[in-house]
Amino acid sequence: MELRFKINGNEVEVITEPYIRLIDLLRDNFDLTGTKEGCGIGECGACTVLMNGRAVNSCLVLAAQANDSEIVTIEGIAEGEVLSSLQKNFLVHGAVQCGFCTPGMVLSASELLDQKPNPTDEEIKDAIAGNLCRCTGYKQIIEAIKETAKELKSK
Amino acid sequence: MMPSFEILFPKNLNDALNAISLYKEDVHIIAGGTDVIPGLNQESKRFKNTRLLIDINRVPEMKGITVDQEKISIGAAETFSEILLNEIVQKKLPLLWKSAGTIGSVQIRNRATLAGNFVNNAPCADSVPVLLAYNTKVEIESLNSKREILLNDFLSAPYKTKLGKDEMVTRINIPIPSSKLNGDFYKLGRRRAVAISRITLALLISLNHNMIDEIRIASGAVTPIGMRFFDLEKFAEGQKVEDQFLKELSKKLGEQIIQVAGLRWSSEYKLPVVQQIFYQLLKGIERRSL
Repeated sequence: MELRFKINGNEVEVITEPYIRLIDLLRDNFDLTGTKEGCGIGECGACTVLMNGRAVNSCLVLAAQANDSEIVTIEGIAEGEVLSSLQKNFLVHGAVQCGFCTPGMVLSASELLDQKPNPTDEEIKDAIAGNLCRCTGYKQIIEAIKETAKELKSK
Repeated sequence: MMPSFEILFPKNLNDALNAISLYKEDVHIIAGGTDVIPGLNQESKRFKNTRLLIDINRVPEMKGITVDQEKISIGAAETFSEILLNEIVQKKLPLLWKSAGTIGSVQIRNRATLAGNFVNNAPCADSVPVLLAYNTKVEIESLNSKREILLNDFLSAPYKTKLGKDEMVTRINIPIPSSKLNGDFYKLGRRRAVAISRITLALLISLNHNMIDEIRIASGAVTPIGMRFFDLEKFAEGQKVEDQFLKELSKKLGEQIIQVAGLRWSSEYKLPVVQQIFYQLLKGIERRSL
């Protein structure tokens, strides 16, 4: 079947099969390997991408279901060579250790800041509750998101 | 590995019903697909021989939340995130709104639907106790028929429902409850998000001064399917909300759950927890109502 999307701002067309998941299409057809597969059942959130602005587990979406939509992966978050403020704050606050959960965390956080530019601690925790990190203990991640919200507000 | 299958995206209800009437066997209806897609990928027995998926996201008759004098009607393809954004649901069906916010994670809620939560009748479906407490009705259609039945009747046995092979759940209709009904919802899982529930309870009560006018009690996860406790409700109606009675009612609920579910390895833990939680829910509602 033939599908059309916008991926990280670029219009693309691709021929694929109905049983291909969005994560496989992104990684295998477009080399967007920043999207990670952890559990494959929607529990770890490492495969999180934005679909029409909303965070989804790309292991739980068929590529065919994403037809005509706008997809943003971690590769679409930086502006060229310049990291976004969320990415910078993840580095500054030590919110990245092994890095496997980071793309998903950043995308979940960017949906949050898009919907609620001034989130409470509870709202931050709820937004990343579907993303598992086994290194940082979450504290640094939450701080990075809070700091980004502050920066975006003062801009 | 994903098995191979076809997928259809009907653009209206008639096309969707037509597709299901043609195939019937080896076909699954999906909206979010958060249950079916990983099931297929893991080659789960539940989805063995699947040849076709029918995606209902583009069927306008199964979208949207409408409100009239008597009821709030939620389309079968409406996601939990869409339900959470609806102010009328938040105001008129606060228990549903609260339980919707505890489903899965943001990522799951952005895809998963209320109908998908109960349509396979898994005992741990979080929204079921709440929907049962609200006397929810399910609208079901096939090419040649349309009917509406109580969710309580729709859910027949664990993983079994009254849905025919050529039928689809099209809408979920919830009678707007009297403003006198106050309630709460409780869920216990092993993790903040994406946790299979161990205990869910929903409770609605209307008080007349110090007396229980109406009470609705429903459970999930601790019973083989989500269920109402009609006997217990009758027993409680007309009684005074005194501490001694609330304790007795909580004790009786625990006994009834054991009766339905049987003694399990986890009963020693779950029984006192259920009783205590139910008692706390009752006390909380009493505090807010008086």
